[in-house]
Amino acid sequence: MRVLLQPAFILHRRPYRDSSLLLEALSMEHGRLGLVARGAAGPRSRLRGLLQPFVPLLLSWSGAGDLVTLTGAEEQQPQSSLPPARLLSGLYANELLVRLLPRRDPCPELFKAYARLLAELATAAAEEPVLRSFEKCLLSELGYGLNLEHEAHSGAPIVAEAQYQYVLDCGPLAVAGNATGVPISGRGLLALRDGTLDDPVLLREAKRLTRAALAVQLQGQLLKTRELYRVKRTPRPE
Amino acid sequence: MAALRCLPGVGPKSAQRMALHLLERDREGAGRLVETLHLALERIGHCRLCRTLSESELCVLCANPRRDRSLLCVVETPADVLALEQATGFQGLYFVLMGHLSPLDGIGPAELGLDELDVRLDAGVVSEVILATNPTVEGEATAAYIAALAQERGIRATRIAHGVPLGGELEYVDGGTLAHAFAGRRTL
Repeated sequence: MRVLLQPAFILHRRPYRDSSLLLEALSMEHGRLGLVARGAAGPRSRLRGLLQPFVPLLLSWSGAGDLVTLTGAEEQQPQSSLPPARLLSGLYANELLVRLLPRRDPCPELFKAYARLLAELATAAAEEPVLRSFEKCLLSELGYGLNLEHEAHSGAPIVAEAQYQYVLDCGPLAVAGNATGVPISGRGLLALRDGTLDDPVLLREAKRLTRAALAVQLQGQLLKTRELYRVKRTPRPE
Repeated sequence: MAALRCLPGVGPKSAQRMALHLLERDREGAGRLVETLHLALERIGHCRLCRTLSESELCVLCANPRRDRSLLCVVETPADVLALEQATGFQGLYFVLMGHLSPLDGIGPAELGLDELDVRLDAGVVSEVILATNPTVEGEATAAYIAALAQERGIRATRIAHGVPLGGELEYVDGGTLAHAFAGRRTL
């Protein structure tokens, strides 16, 4: 099968043989896929600088099965790479996608969310709200979307002033029961739904929620990028 | 022949040629090769200070008292040290990461010996860290990470420039490089 000029992003690359690369890419119509780029890491390759994560590309490939062969790559728009301080967040999103998204599962919505994530990471003042809304999108693409609309038992709409316990395979429960879930305020749920997380308190609540939901999907795997954040933030003992 | 194929760029055909050459025409050379490889494998380890490959506990560069200890250049591989040594008049010391941060391959700060780098920065001798990691996404992420380590201690961190290759023509330079070169322009 030949595919021509498909919008895609590289998620990960590793050297393969002498001068080739093994790529992991997220494409718009073909989902996540593995590609071999023959000769792309050679000293004279035109593609060397191009096949980088976070660059919007148009990829062409041929072949079927788990690993296809890259036949061409072009830049989709002038390069708008992430500023160095935001690379870690980008790598975090890539790690989530590589670990959670099954291959060959078309996900145009997620692709758009990823493109939006990169654009916003490059420009937005705060990175956390952007990451949270991407995580929300990823969860719903995986089929485990968060219920941010209704109380799980009664079906009543979420009330901003109320407190909830979010039980992962059930939904937000009004606090009355002694459910063990992630505590979150009604305002936090609504802000996550609408993508209006500006308040640090709500951000923390939303982070706990998405983190717990992703942990279930990761089945105990630890994310390596999270380690990098942690090391960066712990103050050094003098 | 199968043993020779572990070398990069050596396929079955070249392996056969090499093996036949050594056995038929240059047995002496083969003996030298065996000896050198054996010695190299036995003796060469990592320098205690900069982690590059070295025969002694301290590599030649780290042991040289004339080099400027306040400058520290961080690179990804020993080959990068050689390239910089040959091309630049850099008189400081190096720190070789032996890779770059790559979370998806399970390479984090510990694998790159960044705790050693921490200790070295804490010692207070270094006044400038030059980040000469590759201009790839992983290299940039590594540079940003180390720059943060340096800045926590009030040490100046600089990044090598990206730009148009000497003798190159703008028309044929890829877009990313050109954008970087343009953004990093200097007053003359």
